[in-house]
Amino acid sequence: MPDIPEKAGELAYKLLDIQGQMTWDRHGQMALDNARRNAAHFDRGESLAALRGAPLGEGDSAVVIAAGPSVKRKDPAGALRETNYRGTVIATESAISYSLRNGIIPHLAVTIDPHATRVVRWLGDPDLTEEKLKADDYFSRQDQDDAFASEMRANDEILELVNRHGKDINIALSTMASEALVNRVLDSGMNIFWWNPMLDDPDGDESVAAKLMQENGFPTINAGGNVGTASWMMADVLLEKKRVALTGIDFAYYDDTPYFNTQYYYEAVELVGEENLDALYVRIHNPFEDAWFYTDPAYLWYRECFLEMARDADCETFNCTEGGILFGDAVTVVPLREFLHQHAAG
Amino acid sequence: MPSVLKGNFKTRKDVVKSDEEESLEDRFEREVLKKLGGSISFVSKKKVKWADEDKS
Repeated sequence: MPDIPEKAGELAYKLLDIQGQMTWDRHGQMALDNARRNAAHFDRGESLAALRGAPLGEGDSAVVIAAGPSVKRKDPAGALRETNYRGTVIATESAISYSLRNGIIPHLAVTIDPHATRVVRWLGDPDLTEEKLKADDYFSRQDQDDAFASEMRANDEILELVNRHGKDINIALSTMASEALVNRVLDSGMNIFWWNPMLDDPDGDESVAAKLMQENGFPTINAGGNVGTASWMMADVLLEKKRVALTGIDFAYYDDTPYFNTQYYYEAVELVGEENLDALYVRIHNPFEDAWFYTDPAYLWYRECFLEMARDADCETFNCTEGGILFGDAVTVVPLREFLHQHAAG
Repeated sequence: MPSVLKGNFKTRKDVVKSDEEESLEDRFEREVLKKLGGSISFVSKKKVKWADEDKS
């Protein structure tokens, strides 16, 4: 692969403008197909609207737990336990097993990604085999959760953990979830609340989102491109919390993480070649941690989307991740323990 | 973003690019970029729409 003209990070910024289209090309049709297929299971749950303003957790604060690389370094669940936090806990599907292993049953779990095979792994894949693992090393490469390092054993543990606690978990289940994930949620006995991720402007002409709403009657919510942002959105517009703390929402990798351990490594190499990867990743200094992180085009897009959404939010947003690249207008950066000491009662 | 992909050797004859068909490199680039997308859509300036509501 030859040299490319873009300098470090420049290509990521160029791709920022077309991330929406890239995401549609990647998952749009799959999401729609899933939504139509899942209609057969809609009677196994309720509309997410049933939880609107529901008193899940005490008080008017919420903590979102996502599964960014900071989680294993900062252990937000440990801080929640130590401070006896009684407010609302919302976990991304990717953080459910981390939460349960650390004694925290989230009041609400959230899932959005329509990927056919990967997302179910977060809840334990009953059909996981060594062959499947060899075919897709997405989890083993990434710096997300040590429990996934020994994958078959970890999968068995997660299956058992989720089966044990499933009936105690409310899940905001995207109508666009994969067949494997929906089957796993059903088998685990979770309490299902269906919703539509907002695929386009529901007030626009010939809106796909509006058509889906018309078909299934479930609310459509702007997920901001990813499940972490969707979880924060649930705290704001669904549970109407006034103060929302984010943990594990890094949108970035620690600076010492090899490119190989990032989510899109193979695709990045395919696009620009190993020797040009610097063009596709952006290094950003986090002044609150006085540390460098780097991010890829998708995470950079998530950050930009989040900052725009935070400006329009009704809640006050606190980033308690203690790492990563999410800082800017409308986001107060504060250590989690400091947030919890002020809002331990929720 | 055609600047990303360039040949790494010189051909003996000039390569003539067809204007009508999508080139191999364009198709390759489109397929790879698709894999670099996010999890789900983002809609600017929108939050939620509950059933039977006009605007939110």
